[in-house]
Amino acid sequence: MKRAKSWAVLMVAVLMIASLAACGGKNNTSSSNATNKPATTNTDTAAPAETTEPVEDVVLSFWSLGTTNYEDLAKEYTALHPNVTFKFQNTSDQTAHHNNLTTALSAGSGAPDIFMLEIGFMERFIGAQDKFYNLNDLGAKDIASNYLDWKWKQASSIDGSFQLGLPTDIGPTVAYYRTDLAEQAGLPTDPDQFSAAIDTWDKFATVAKAFKDKTGKPFTDLTDLLFNGLRDQSADEIYFSKADGSFIGDKNPQIKKAFDFTVKGIQEGWVGNTQLWSPEWNKAINDGDFEVMLGPAWMAGTIKNAKDTAGKWKIAQLPEGAGNWGGSFLTLPKEGKHPKEAFEFISWLVSKENQLKSFEASGLFPSIPALYDDPAFTKGDDFFGGQAIAGEYAKSANRVKPVYYGPLHDQTDAFFKNALKNVLEKKADPAKEWDNAIKQAKTLADRS
Amino acid sequence: MAEPATATPAQLIKSKKPFLNETRRSRITAYTFISPFFILFAIFGLYPILFTIYLSFFKWDALGPMKYVGFKNYHLIIDDPTFWISFSNTLIMALMGTVPQLILALFVAVMLNSAINRYKKTFRLLFFMPNITSIVAVTLVFSTMFGNNGMINWVLNSLGMDNVAFNSGWWGVKIAISTMVMWRWMGYNAIIFLSGLQSIPTDIYEASRIDGANRSQQLLFITLPLLRPFILFVTLISTIGSLQLFTEPYVFLGQSGSGATRQEGVTMVTYLYNEAFSNGFFGTAAASAVMLLIATIFFSVLNMVLSNRLGGDTGGKEA
Repeated sequence: MKRAKSWAVLMVAVLMIASLAACGGKNNTSSSNATNKPATTNTDTAAPAETTEPVEDVVLSFWSLGTTNYEDLAKEYTALHPNVTFKFQNTSDQTAHHNNLTTALSAGSGAPDIFMLEIGFMERFIGAQDKFYNLNDLGAKDIASNYLDWKWKQASSIDGSFQLGLPTDIGPTVAYYRTDLAEQAGLPTDPDQFSAAIDTWDKFATVAKAFKDKTGKPFTDLTDLLFNGLRDQSADEIYFSKADGSFIGDKNPQIKKAFDFTVKGIQEGWVGNTQLWSPEWNKAINDGDFEVMLGPAWMAGTIKNAKDTAGKWKIAQLPEGAGNWGGSFLTLPKEGKHPKEAFEFISWLVSKENQLKSFEASGLFPSIPALYDDPAFTKGDDFFGGQAIAGEYAKSANRVKPVYYGPLHDQTDAFFKNALKNVLEKKADPAKEWDNAIKQAKTLADRS
Repeated sequence: MAEPATATPAQLIKSKKPFLNETRRSRITAYTFISPFFILFAIFGLYPILFTIYLSFFKWDALGPMKYVGFKNYHLIIDDPTFWISFSNTLIMALMGTVPQLILALFVAVMLNSAINRYKKTFRLLFFMPNITSIVAVTLVFSTMFGNNGMINWVLNSLGMDNVAFNSGWWGVKIAISTMVMWRWMGYNAIIFLSGLQSIPTDIYEASRIDGANRSQQLLFITLPLLRPFILFVTLISTIGSLQLFTEPYVFLGQSGSGATRQEGVTMVTYLYNEAFSNGFFGTAAASAVMLLIATIFFSVLNMVLSNRLGGDTGGKEA
């Protein structure tokens, strides 16, 4: 019996050591990960040949996010450059998409050559400059002026020396509004006149209250988007200081203004009570239960899902400025062995003519202002009553100002939005909820 | 005198202590056969656990270098009211989702056991179905039912009651989530109880009937005492399971796309998940995982102690 025990102990000890050795090594052994680079002609290590036409066959792995036409464009690229082929891995799950990259980067293996990075996750990676190629070293500086300045800066280090990604699409915010309800409430239906009627937040509130009194319906769909509308007009920074990253949400007057304005809307009854993305919200869009939705360009896709409402929507500008929600960047993780070829490809992929193709195929709103005068942009959209909507987005995009988010932006933002929901749904005291949100945000900020 | 270098097998057998004798050889065989489990457990179970404990003393964002901070992570989460809210939420929802569920499961099992034998398999399958459907899909369906203008509120309204804020109310959220947990596990536990019931020999029941025991007496004095090991097993599994509640609250309250789960429904696992994968604080996440481990051990031991105490008496004093 005793012997058996000592054997068991020995076995376990051996196993432990074996497993620790297996996991402890930080060497680049290739794991049995399906996302690993294919073992093709990986005769890399040497610097890429200094010829215009490298003879080496290159396979680039590309993790893309959401609905894009990048796979089709990649096929076109392969037709132009037969030595470059692609392996795509596409997902629509943002969180999983970025967590996969975090895992791959911290394990030191398994990251793709090209990674599509969503702006909401930018701050998580912008500090990890040792894990990504600096695109400025590969020639990004020369093409920077083609893109919207604020968009370009979103993927730059604070001093601008490091460029993490090339801009793909953007999400400039506009006011989607219902012309049929506007008519009922005696509001102008023409986009320019509607924009003029709500061109300050004070006017917006007055119009909203009048609308509610007249129709009995809320003016805007929910607290989150209304809050975003004001929040994103904050100058330079929102919750965190650009200079030292400290929490400034309690000192930033724009945040307080956004909060108080939303509370005012709740108290006057012109903010709807639904959850963003919920079935009820979709139903409200479909049934015309509110007048205005403050949403980014890509929200048009959601609205168009309500097919019965075709022709009843138009697009106006937000009061006092614009904001941006969403959009992505193409980055090159350092684990990739072919930065030169990868950069050539991504700079081709987000070039003027290809951004136009992506816009036409997948509705990715371009980040190249020169495109905004393109004939493709002056086309009317039947769903929006023939309005040239791209022009409205472009107008909004040109009004967006660069703003610093900080790594904890999303989490911090959730505290304020939950506070507003408490005011709306539980009739909670706004001042108390504000203090509580600040407290939670500070607790979180203390950890960084 | 040294032995000759080439020993014959016969000599080997006679030699004093050969390394590979019969018993040892069979032992090595046996350990080799069971080793896959231990190897896999060591790599995917033990190592992550130990690394989590190690990690909880560091500050790490999964990308940069790890920085030793001692017990700071523990201080941070112990000082964080949200952590304690998550702790109490987890316990409350564990009670709300487990206690009525087990009682219900027991009744269902007794019903199934006494039901007509013909449909037993069908019923078993039906009751097991919730457990194998995707939790996310289930949660989405329940979210629609528990919406502000959802089915449940409609029923309440038609009964003349006010709306319950299932998305944001302190109790509303918990009721909604516990309901999902109950729906998912009730059948599973009923199946376990059923197998327990079928292990009770029928002659005991026959004997009791001859002694004049009625149905409820049989349930109280035969079924429950003999089911005790099953009840204890199910309670333990449910306790551990409900401490790890994650998907339901995460999906149910995460539909607004915000980065944090609402406080009314934050559980210990959603707390540590957000900590790691939304905030990038892997150190504090690891520390809260260790706290969860301690809590799990504590409640499991409590369970065992209580069940040993209960096991002390011979049953029949159920009340």
